[in-house]
Parts: sequence; structure tokens; C-alpha cells
Amino acid sequence: MVSRRITHRIPRLAALMTLLVLVLAACGGSGSAGPSSSSKVAITYLTHWSGPQVDQLHAAIAAYEKINPNVTITVRTVPFGNLLTTITTQGSSSSGPTIMGIYNLWMPQLVQSNLLATAPADDGQDIQQAYAPSIVSAVQVDGKIYGYPNEVDLYALNYNKALFQQAGIANPPTTWAELISDAQKLTKRDSSGKITQQGFGVITSWNSGVVHPWLSLMDSDGGQLLSADHKPQLNSKAALETTNLYYQLVFKDHTTDPAMGQANASTTGPYLDNFAGGKTAMIIMANWWESDLQAAMGQRFQDVATAPIPVGPSGSGSHSVSYSWSTVVSAHASADQQAAAWKFLHWLNGPQSGKNGSSAMGDILMGMGILPGRTSDLQAHQSQLNSPFIHTYVEELPTSMPFPTVLGGDELTTSLQKSIESMLFGQASPQQAMSQAQANLSQILGQYYSS
Amino acid sequence: MPSSSLAPLSFKVVIMKRYRSRAVSTVGLLTPGLGLLTLFVAVPILLTAWISLHRGSMAVPYSALQWVGLHNYGTIFAQATFRTALLNVFLYSLGNLAIILPLAILLGLFLYQTRVRGKQLIRTLLFLPYMIPTVAVAIVWGYLYEPQYGPLNQILGWLHLPAQDWLGSVHEALLSLVILNVWQTLGYYVVIVVAGLTEIPQEYYEAAAIDGASWFQRQWHVTLPLLRHTLAFVIVILSINTLQIFDPVYVLTQGSPVNSTNVVAYQMYVTAFNYGQAGTASAMAMVLLAVVLVLSLLQLRLFRSI
Repeated sequence: MVSRRITHRIPRLAALMTLLVLVLAACGGSGSAGPSSSSKVAITYLTHWSGPQVDQLHAAIAAYEKINPNVTITVRTVPFGNLLTTITTQGSSSSGPTIMGIYNLWMPQLVQSNLLATAPADDGQDIQQAYAPSIVSAVQVDGKIYGYPNEVDLYALNYNKALFQQAGIANPPTTWAELISDAQKLTKRDSSGKITQQGFGVITSWNSGVVHPWLSLMDSDGGQLLSADHKPQLNSKAALETTNLYYQLVFKDHTTDPAMGQANASTTGPYLDNFAGGKTAMIIMANWWESDLQAAMGQRFQDVATAPIPVGPSGSGSHSVSYSWSTVVSAHASADQQAAAWKFLHWLNGPQSGKNGSSAMGDILMGMGILPGRTSDLQAHQSQLNSPFIHTYVEELPTSMPFPTVLGGDELTTSLQKSIESMLFGQASPQQAMSQAQANLSQILGQYYSS
Repeated sequence: MPSSSLAPLSFKVVIMKRYRSRAVSTVGLLTPGLGLLTLFVAVPILLTAWISLHRGSMAVPYSALQWVGLHNYGTIFAQATFRTALLNVFLYSLGNLAIILPLAILLGLFLYQTRVRGKQLIRTLLFLPYMIPTVAVAIVWGYLYEPQYGPLNQILGWLHLPAQDWLGSVHEALLSLVILNVWQTLGYYVVIVVAGLTEIPQEYYEAAAIDGASWFQRQWHVTLPLLRHTLAFVIVILSINTLQIFDPVYVLTQGSPVNSTNVVAYQMYVTAFNYGQAGTASAMAMVLLAVVLVLSLLQLRLFRSI
């Protein structure tokens, strides 16, 4: 009897002690960061950049800290694939990153999660005056400005001049009919019929890599992804014609091999290697991959040229899809940190921080072949923007169509990716793929926008 | 026999003191382990289950999450992407089981029963890939699988076999990931099998040999039955590990092409961090937990009844 009473107590005591351990562990967590005991304000800058761009950012920060000794700025870099994850998991902490470089497609979701601080009035005014209206709209949610725009990216037809010369083609295609014809001339196969050099390349396994080039072709065929009231337009004639174009290139003409277009988590991989290695003659890609191409191709980079997106049978002109990034400030940083962050961003994006009237941000972006969003930066870098590779992107910018910045943007991009890939890999017809995409995107957007 | 209530008081006190000190030491020894288990296992599981009944982003406070009951579970099973991911993990797990289990047994028998020089070296080489972080393994295999430049296709070319698309093919991508996992983890399971073989008394083999049993008959009637507990462990651990695959998918394929390599853990990650849907992602996590738990219990029960 006695031993049974004691034995029953052991589990209860164990549970009690366990609870005590848990309470102690919970109490041991760090509280929110209060004001620093010294007068210095410490802020962090989270970015997905690497290499020379981070070095340039460090140099700009050093120059800023010299004139603002009460601020210390630490740079944190993560690969692009981890950027949103880092912002999501750490953004709500007061000790999380203060300044973050974000892809503007994520902005509505981050605003909804109360992670982003609204720009102060004078920064908002600076942004509205210094950037084109289409660029300003990308950093606005419900009329409020949430960050300084930085890079603008869009797409162009990249082609290998040496391969064109070998095939006897003088000029890049300007229409889809010319694209199809040139792709046939540029494709080579081995004795078994397997493509060894594809005339036109597509990208797989990466949502933006699949969707943006396809969308640029659709936009150039008179189509659009969403209507003004957030309704998908994938049941349109342009959407079906674009998907039929891909179907023809892959399954009828055999000038495109989707297996050669794979991208990895770093957005590089076989699709880039094959273009750099001369195994893909044409591909639609963004301006930011200039530095990757230069690194991969070395001297052979001079064989690369760019041209506007070929125009479809129902289109009236070439329209690339464009998207942008911005630098934002965490809403969970302390008031001192937020003030210091906005002041730094005002300087970093201002014409006094860089060379020859450019901002330091403009200098950093041009180093990557990325178009700066600020109007004064575009003027300051006029000579570089005339380079053989970049000039096409600059010319296409005024007629580009921004990718819609809506809630569920990443989800709908991935969903559309899967539908396009199902057609590319023979699992659905073009009609089936677009019907599936229309239904899926309607369902995704329906969660956020009422009909 | 006098009852305990009639025992001398001093004897009772001695017993009570002895049991009390035993209780204190038992509790003291159990608490750290139980505390850690509760903190890092039980609490997160309960929290995930709670979040799965709500809608919202993981960046907002718990108080801001909106109650939706079992709605998230209905949503995920209505998604073709999730159903495909669930099917893919079963196929991936079965593929690994079909290759690793027989190979581990055969290699274990080779390493334990045969007299070959360098067995220790072979065992070490087999186990080495298990020590390498999976992300590093995935990056290297990404280069091996490269359709245009990769060594695997070059080797196939030397053998006059057609080059494969590997990770770029809807039909081959999942199998390519299976091969990667077999290469990395086979050694670990071989070591477990060898440990199990050491438990089998040699007298049984001698008796079987005297009775005229061939090598194959000895393995079938002696080794396999006596190895069943070890094999049960291998199957359960293999299933648990493979059902939760994430790293190679994240690094190499991101679920593509066309969801052929999409798995529950990766879909969970994308739903939580890219789409900002913590509730839906938590529902996926609970479904995966239930699948792993049920499968493990079934497998253990099956082996107990054999």
C-alpha cells in the first residue's frame, strides 16, 4: 500500500518538475531590444546580393558611417531562395533585419502581415518625385508607400551571334513566325535524333523563369495576365496562342528541349550552362543575368546580343513583362532604428552618394547589369546603358508591362508555372493547360479579392 | 501476516524514507530529458496542431490568427498539388525500400560472413557518404546528373547507352532522387544489418550445415527469421526518413518538373514561407505526422506477428 502510494507520486512529481523546467525556459527568453545604452544606433541590412555588389554596399556604408558616426550598419546576405523565408521568420522580431531588399511581388503579403513600415512623409515625397509613376506604383499598397524602389528587371530575347552567323541568319527574329523559322535553322541533332543544340530554350523548375518569358510573349501577342479587377485572363486568345507556340517548338518542330532548361535553387543551372556553352541559340531572359553570363562565358560573352521580344500574330508591339525590387524597413524595429534606416536609405538612393550624379544604389545596380529605378540614375549612367547587352532592355522599359503586384502573387506564379510545365512535358494539351491555369488562378485570387 | 498498518512505526519510516529518496532521484534524472522532449517535441507538435485549425501568416502573432476549424484539412486534400506530393513520398519511400533493403542484407552478409581482406575499409567507405551533409551531396549529384556535361551521361555514352535527362525528365526525376538517397544512406543500414547479424549464434548455421542446408537455405531459414527485429528497425527508420525528404528537392528540383518530385515537406515549406499560409502548412505537417506514425505502428505490428 505504502509503495503503491509512493510509486503513484513519481509520475506526478516528474510532471511537476517538467512543468517547472518549461516555465523557467520560457522566462529565460530574451525580451525586446530596448534602446542602446550608448548613443549609437545599430541597424542591419538584409540582402540576397553577393560578391562585388556586397563589397560596393560595404563601401557605401563605410562612407555613410563616416559622416554619421552614431549609426552602425551591418550587412547580412542570404541566397535568393532563402530571402523570403528569412524575412518571414525573423521579420516580426525586434532583433530581426532592419532594412530588407525585397521582390515587390512579396510586398502585399508582407504589408498584410504588418512587417513593413510606411515611408515617412519626406521620403514618400522624394520617392514620388524621383521615380517614374509605374515604378512608384510597385512600392505602394493601398496608396501608401513602403520602400525605396531599387532595381527594375525586364526581359529580352538573348541570342548567340556566332550561332546565328553559322546558320546564315543575319538578324534576330521580330515576329513569332521568324522565331519559329530561325529556331529550325539553329537546331542540331545527333544520330539518334536527340537535340544537341536547341534553337530556342525555355526554363523549368523555377517559377519566374518559366512564367516571365512566357508572359512576355503573351503580352507581345496583345494579352495580359490579370484584368484590372484581378481576374485571370488565361482563357484569352493570346494565352492559348502563346502556349501553342511553345507546343509547336517542343513537339512539332522539335527545336526546344525542356530537359535542357532546368534551373536549380540558385536560379542558375543547366538552362544557363547550355546558353553559355553554345547549346542554346536563343532564350528569353532578364537583364540581371548579364553578370552570370559574363562569368560563365568569359571572352565569348561578346557573342551574346539582345533583341526585343518577338511580336505575336495578335499583337501590335513588343512588350516585355517587368518587375522590380525595393528596400524596405521593418515595422518591428525600434523607432530609433527605423528613423536611422530611412535616413540611410534616403542617402543611399540620393544623387549625392554615388559617382557623377548617380546614387550609390545606382552604381551598385549598374555593376550587376541591373537597371536602376531612379530617373536621375538612368541619366547618370547613360553611357553604360548604351552597352550592346543592356540597351535593348532600356529601350523596352517604357513599353513594358509590370507583373501584377497582388496578394497571392507567388502562389499564382507557381501555379501557372506548373500548368505551363505540364504542357511542356506532354502531360496536358495547350488548351488543358490554360483551362487548368485559369481555374487555379481564379481560386487563388478568389481567396483575397471578392468577385 | 500482519498488515502494513500494524508494522512497527520505525520500520514504516525507514521504508518511506527509502522510497522518498528513490522518488527524488527518479524525478531528478527524468526531468531534464522529459523537459527537453516536452519543450522541443511535444509543445511544437501541439502548437502545430493548434495552428492547423487557424488561418494566417507565421509572421503575425498567434492572437491574430483566424479560427477556421478543419477547413485547412479540406483545402489541402482538395489540392491536386498536395495529393501528388503525398503520392510522391510514398513512391519515393517504396523505391528506397525496394533497393536499400535487399542491398543492405546482401552487403551485410558479405561483410560479416565472408573472409575478404579489406572488409573494414569497405565498411568505412560504405558509411562515409552518410557523414556528408545532404545539401552537399545534392549539389554534387546535381552536377553528376547534368544532361549535357554530367559524368553519368558521359559514362553511358562510353557504354553506347542513350543519355538520360535525369532530373530534367518527368519520368526519371524521382528515381534520380532515389538513387541519390541510396548512395548516401546505404552504408548506414548495412552497419545496422551487420550489428544484427552478430546477434545470431553460429551454432544454428553449423547445425543447418550438418543437416545439408545450402548457403541460400541457411540464409532463408536461419538468417532472415533471426534478423527480423533488425530488419523491422531498418524498415521503420527507412520509412520515417524517406517520407520526410526535403533537402534534395529544395536544392535540385523545387518539386519540378511538373510536380514529379514535389513532396509533402517541400510543399509545406513553400506554403508556409512563400505563400504565407501557416495554417494550411501546419495541416500538411499534421497529415505527414499521422502518416509516419500509422505506417510505423503498422510495420512494427506486422513484424511482431511474423
